[in-house]
Amino acid sequence: MRDIPLKRRGVFVSSLLRIPVVLVILAVFLSPFWILATISFKPVSDVSSYWKFPSSPTFANFATAISKAGIFGAIGRTAIITVSVVVLEVVVSSFAAYPLARKCSRFNRVVQAFILGVMMVPPLSILVSLYSVIVDMHGVNSYWAVILVLLTYQLPQGIFLYTNFIRSIPRALDEAATIDGCGPAKTFFHIILPQLTPVTASVVILSSVNCWNDFQFSRYILQAARMNTVTLSISQFFSQTYIDLNTAAACAMLAIVPVVVCFLSLQKYFIQGMIDSSVK
Amino acid sequence: MKKRIDTINLFYVPALVLFALFVIYPFFKGVYLSFTNWNGYSRSFKMIGLKNYVNLFKDKNVHRAFANTLVYGVGSTVIQNALGVLLAVFLNKKFRGRSLVRTVIYLPVMIAPLIMGYVMYFFFNYNRGAINDVLKLFGAAPVDWLASGNRAVFILTLVNSLQFVGISMVIYLAGLQNIPSMYYEAAEIDGIGVKQRFFYITLPLLMPAITSSVTLNLIGGLKLFDVISALTGGGPGYDTHSLSTLIHKYYFGGERAGYASAIGLVFFVFIMFVSNIVVKALQRRQVEL
Amino acid sequence: MKKAMVFALVLVCCVSVFAQAQAESGSKTITMWVSGAGAQVDAMKAAVEAFEAQSGYTVEFSAPGETYEELMKTKMAANDLPDVFDTHGWSVDRYGEYLMPVNDLDFFANVSRQIIPTISNDKGEALVLPFDMDLTGIVYNEDVLAEAGVDVDSIKTWADFEAACEKVKAIGKTPITLGASNGFTVGWLYDRIAPSFYITDEANSKAADLKNGIFDEAIWASISAMIDRWVSNGYFNADVVTGDFVGDITAMATNQAAFDFIQNVAIMMAGGINADAHLGMMPIPSNSASDEPTLISGENVALGIWKETKAKKGAIELLNYLAQPEVAATIAAATGNVPALTNVKLDLGAVQKYIDKHAAVEAYNYFDRDYCPSGLWDVICAAGQEVLAQKPNAVQNTAKQVKDSFDALYGN
Repeated sequence: MRDIPLKRRGVFVSSLLRIPVVLVILAVFLSPFWILATISFKPVSDVSSYWKFPSSPTFANFATAISKAGIFGAIGRTAIITVSVVVLEVVVSSFAAYPLARKCSRFNRVVQAFILGVMMVPPLSILVSLYSVIVDMHGVNSYWAVILVLLTYQLPQGIFLYTNFIRSIPRALDEAATIDGCGPAKTFFHIILPQLTPVTASVVILSSVNCWNDFQFSRYILQAARMNTVTLSISQFFSQTYIDLNTAAACAMLAIVPVVVCFLSLQKYFIQGMIDSSVK
Repeated sequence: MKKRIDTINLFYVPALVLFALFVIYPFFKGVYLSFTNWNGYSRSFKMIGLKNYVNLFKDKNVHRAFANTLVYGVGSTVIQNALGVLLAVFLNKKFRGRSLVRTVIYLPVMIAPLIMGYVMYFFFNYNRGAINDVLKLFGAAPVDWLASGNRAVFILTLVNSLQFVGISMVIYLAGLQNIPSMYYEAAEIDGIGVKQRFFYITLPLLMPAITSSVTLNLIGGLKLFDVISALTGGGPGYDTHSLSTLIHKYYFGGERAGYASAIGLVFFVFIMFVSNIVVKALQRRQVEL
Repeated sequence: MKKAMVFALVLVCCVSVFAQAQAESGSKTITMWVSGAGAQVDAMKAAVEAFEAQSGYTVEFSAPGETYEELMKTKMAANDLPDVFDTHGWSVDRYGEYLMPVNDLDFFANVSRQIIPTISNDKGEALVLPFDMDLTGIVYNEDVLAEAGVDVDSIKTWADFEAACEKVKAIGKTPITLGASNGFTVGWLYDRIAPSFYITDEANSKAADLKNGIFDEAIWASISAMIDRWVSNGYFNADVVTGDFVGDITAMATNQAAFDFIQNVAIMMAGGINADAHLGMMPIPSNSASDEPTLISGENVALGIWKETKAKKGAIELLNYLAQPEVAATIAAATGNVPALTNVKLDLGAVQKYIDKHAAVEAYNYFDRDYCPSGLWDVICAAGQEVLAQKPNAVQNTAKQVKDSFDALYGN
């Protein structure tokens, strides 16, 4: 990393100014987590300000959340779904991106425009027909259906990122391989694939967050309580007729913690990975 | 046809099979339904021609949702990118705690928008909301934040922008680090000011980053759904609906599935149109390094 | 192209293998869906678990809460319904097409005569096992009314009601608590007021017109005008537009508000927040002095069997089990409503007193269910939110909106 040289008188002043800016940023971006925490540690009867952390925190809300929402099972199921989608997405979208980046025939331009179009379909407008397809395939309450559907709607983004990246790999390499007698498959696996690591990091990060947080597809496909994902089990607690917002907050906390821990322990690779892959 | 060379195209066949099954087929079924008066669940319905399409141009709720969708899309894009560039420039300088600040800004991206919407309710609530608590601390009267439709639209745009500003920030950080520092060194030797350096070097060279950040934000903003349904449910009245939430409302609550499908189709064409114009315009401004 | 075909073939194979596995596991399993949340779901779940232990069937129980109706609509569209499901007031108009008649089942002899017309289609086939009947009016706080010097029994007309609101306002409490952000709370308000304007005054009843698809927009505007006046007079809580259902019950339980247009179950929920709260239920005032106050009634928790179920035998066994007096009593008790089975004897505790007190009051079915096409509910709720937010010309504009939607939906 190279920084812009700063050789001005203002250096000292600007670093003093930096402190309040940093504090404002921290306050704005951390306050939601703080509020959620205070609520989840209070009993329903405690009506003090949301800002105030209770003097004697209760864990009862968490106990209810764990026993009623089965949050740990939900985390496990969500992990299975997320990992499967991400792995499949990396394979299928890097495959698809290869010809699109390398063969700019008119037909392939149409295919690419179509894939971008998929990104823009409002899923709601096709939801019921999509659900009928899944019922016809006997996919309700099954892992494979939710994985395939999430995969399908994540693919355009993956293809988009991979296509741009592969275009930046010098074409001369492929051509050399072709002259050496490699077919397209061999060229892909030997020349292209090894170079995709940085962009794969971006694809994995963006898609895993989307899959982990998915609500709009899984609520229709995973209907049985035994198949609840994290977002699904929390949303029940925020149901309009449910009076206990404290348990709901506890449940949300439980759902956020694994993601945050995962993120914090991987953040080095996370943000740096995104930066290195220079999302284009 | 040059069959041999086209074998390379087989690589995208798996993707196309999935699209055919889960996108194209349902999509055309939706097109068919948009010409019917189907209520969304009954076995019986009839074709009513173009009536749904005629009606949607007269429907005040659709007009309102259309305007809101533009505000959500364009507003989020503007806020996220302006703020994203500022944060990236700020966090590209070395100082202690820099990576902590980056992490904190990126943290909300990890949270499901639905949950973020619920959490925001604790902020904007009238009686016990966290924001009114702060107001009371300064002796100001509490405000019923979400009672006015226009203000609620603004709040929703802001919530969405702040939650996802982390993505723009990261894209711009990456962009900034790809700008060779010799450009700045040369500029400094020539005695070019900070402001000019930003507008003549940084911004033009960030154009590829801007293109991808704007595209992602715009599509995300135009399709905004979860946070609206968690925070306002489209209310008061129909004031804060985006086209997505309105379609959902008409489809299920209003039992006008055929009509909702027609709106969905027009909406799709609209998103395609807007994002194509924006992407084309941005791409034209890109400069090659 | 060969590879593509091979791939497609593999995909199809995978899918069908999974499909097979799914179908085979379904034989001894009954899927069951119920709506709502909280006590009534807990009671149902406990009863179902007892059934499982006794019968050897596995019941896959789901209570998706808020998304129930929308999921059920999706499932009807795909003809993929649960074997047993809750019809929450819509057994005939919405779910009728997909339900199996229950007239021949054992429990049917015990279904209250009063509710049979509501749960039967025009061929005379009853479609569900009802557990309770809503019999409700307006919930009030006795202590607040006493403090304000209001005699609840003297409230006969909306004019009397407004006078009572003035008195409550004078002691600094909220006359009517309403959290409109939920939408359905607004629907409940209109459902309670509309009959007194359209139906209950026999001399001017529009019941027949409504059933024939004729909707009088001016009457709707006069209902909204009354609500608009209530807002202007400051009868509602300050956050009426953005408040919620939970806030309403809290306000009633903590003696902050006098009236709430809500079901009896609120009385029980309020007891959970403040055991010392004294809430009661009163009939709904009439619009003219010549008319009488009335109550609202209707089906509530009711279970039906999917016509095309693959677990018909088990589903019938399940319903017969749940219809046993001691089991059905636990479910009805959780709703705070009158049982809909004649052999169920139940003391509703805090609510019973008011049910007995108003036994002679005439009751009408929910306005939107009985007199409006399905789908109008959402329009009513959103239109009411605009009236409560006092948007310019909301009274006239929303009356037109409701009429237009009524006409559009009636044609369907």
